Amino acid sequence: MSGFQAKGICAGYGAKRVIDGLSLSMESGRVMGILGANGSGKTTLIKSICGILRHEGECMLEGVTLEKLSARQLAQKCSYIPQRSGISIDLSALDVVLMGFNPQLKLLAHPSAAMKKQALEALEMVGLGDRTQENYLNLSEGQKQLCILARTLVADSRLLLLDEPESALDFRFRYRMLSTIRDWVQSDGRFALVTLHDPMLALNGCDDLLILKDGRNIGVLHPGTDSFEKMEELLCAVYGRVSLVSCADRTGRRHIVMLKEGEDAL
Amino acid sequence: MIALTVFGLFVGKYPLMLEKLLAGDEMQLRVFLTLRLSRVLVGLVGGFALGVSGFVYQTVFRNPLASPDIIGVSSGASAGAAAGILFLSGAAAVTASAFAGAVAAVLMALALASLDRSGRNSSIVLSGIAVHSLAQTALMCLKLTADPERELASIEYWIMGSLNGVSSYAIGGNLALCIACLAALFLLHRQIILLSAEEGEARTLGVSVGRLRLTVLLIATLTVADVVSLTGLISFAGLLAPHGARLLTKDNRIGTMALSGILGAVILLAADILARSVAGTELPVSIFTSLIGAPFLISLIMKGRRRA
Repeated sequence: MSGFQAKGICAGYGAKRVIDGLSLSMESGRVMGILGANGSGKTTLIKSICGILRHEGECMLEGVTLEKLSARQLAQKCSYIPQRSGISIDLSALDVVLMGFNPQLKLLAHPSAAMKKQALEALEMVGLGDRTQENYLNLSEGQKQLCILARTLVADSRLLLLDEPESALDFRFRYRMLSTIRDWVQSDGRFALVTLHDPMLALNGCDDLLILKDGRNIGVLHPGTDSFEKMEELLCAVYGRVSLVSCADRTGRRHIVMLKEGEDAL
Repeated sequence: MIALTVFGLFVGKYPLMLEKLLAGDEMQLRVFLTLRLSRVLVGLVGGFALGVSGFVYQTVFRNPLASPDIIGVSSGASAGAAAGILFLSGAAAVTASAFAGAVAAVLMALALASLDRSGRNSSIVLSGIAVHSLAQTALMCLKLTADPERELASIEYWIMGSLNGVSSYAIGGNLALCIACLAALFLLHRQIILLSAEEGEARTLGVSVGRLRLTVLLIATLTVADVVSLTGLISFAGLLAPHGARLLTKDNRIGTMALSGILGAVILLAADILARSVAGTELPVSIFTSLIGAPFLISLIMKGRRRA
């Protein structure tokens, strides 16, 4: 069995259920964005799938049930980029990236020279090639996010889970990050599940868009093929009344632009 | 450190001469082997152990103020030592009893913490505080029953810490255990650094967070219990050495962990040399670890600021 499926995911904090019976499925080589209002369960869904939050339901990745794996086995299959990394001690950017090799290393083993080379290449790829020895804590929030992306890329997992990776990045790096993820996903038929705040980035950078409302999957959009009417209808549930327009930039590339139609009562 | 070691071997109430020692003067040899050598060895290994475990605690708890006290090892050791002084006799018995007290406190803290299956840092800290106050209460009760003239004084003196009571017959086992624990901590260095990431993040990097944290803390605490049961409480060295090391290297690589140990050893050796040479009587070593440590840390901070 191929692809990634999540079935009947329920999760929450204490007695409060944030995700309620959510199911989704995706094919390999695709980037799926998750859109939803604040508190709709985007982060909870990501944390459930990567095993940080206890949950009901089952996630199947290429025929393997993720819930049955140990922390180490799970980390070999899927990797995760939190909204903000919790690293709080002085470490060089290179050392942070080398952490990504942990699932492949034995408990007491050290990263090899080849791994170091690979880590430097990953830093180069995300645009931090000149910062490898810099203290991670002294990097800007956006650079930290890119450094964690590099750590995730070297982990060489099958499923990449990202929680608002674009929030700290400026305009240019947002697109660059998403296209780096896309290339990485397409190169080896992997999967990426990304929660995003910026709907335009999502509409133009993702293959599929999962729309979340109150912890449920209310529909999946395919920005490349779906009609604007169909997409507007679903996006309404998250953003209120919106219009989608197609625009071309000077090079002739088409972009989808989302416009807000007046204010609506909260 | 080497200079301090050599110096430490020859400083003391009984003057030692290298020529006489080499010539095989019996008295000189006996003082050297049974008193000085063991004392300096304990200072070296003990200081090193305190520095390294301070580094481990601060990293694992993600808190620059973390120290073994957090999970009750010092107060457990004190209560154990007090019980030893009251009910047993002989330095070796007190050491064993202090060690048992420290290990019991730590096992109790970790067992309490593991009742909360999430294994969060906060639950370890909370149960550590609970055990710490329990041990303090036990210590107080023991002090109340102690004979104020002799026993109470030796309890107080023990708590203040000294390398004085250390004698060669007792240290073999302690040092061996201490070195084994230290070796294990150095082998686990990469994992210890992984624990410094936030809980969920470490898990998605393939770390079995709960189990690994308990293992690492247990080893680090055994190391401390081992030292403290020999010497009594030694303030500040374990807290200060890792900060000094990090200010010097600006990272947390394995070299920094080793440097924490070296600084710990330097501080403890220097403090011990002062403790037995400044006044006519032997002074508690903790006075000098604080006296040396505080200005040392402040100077490192100033230097770091000037550079930045």
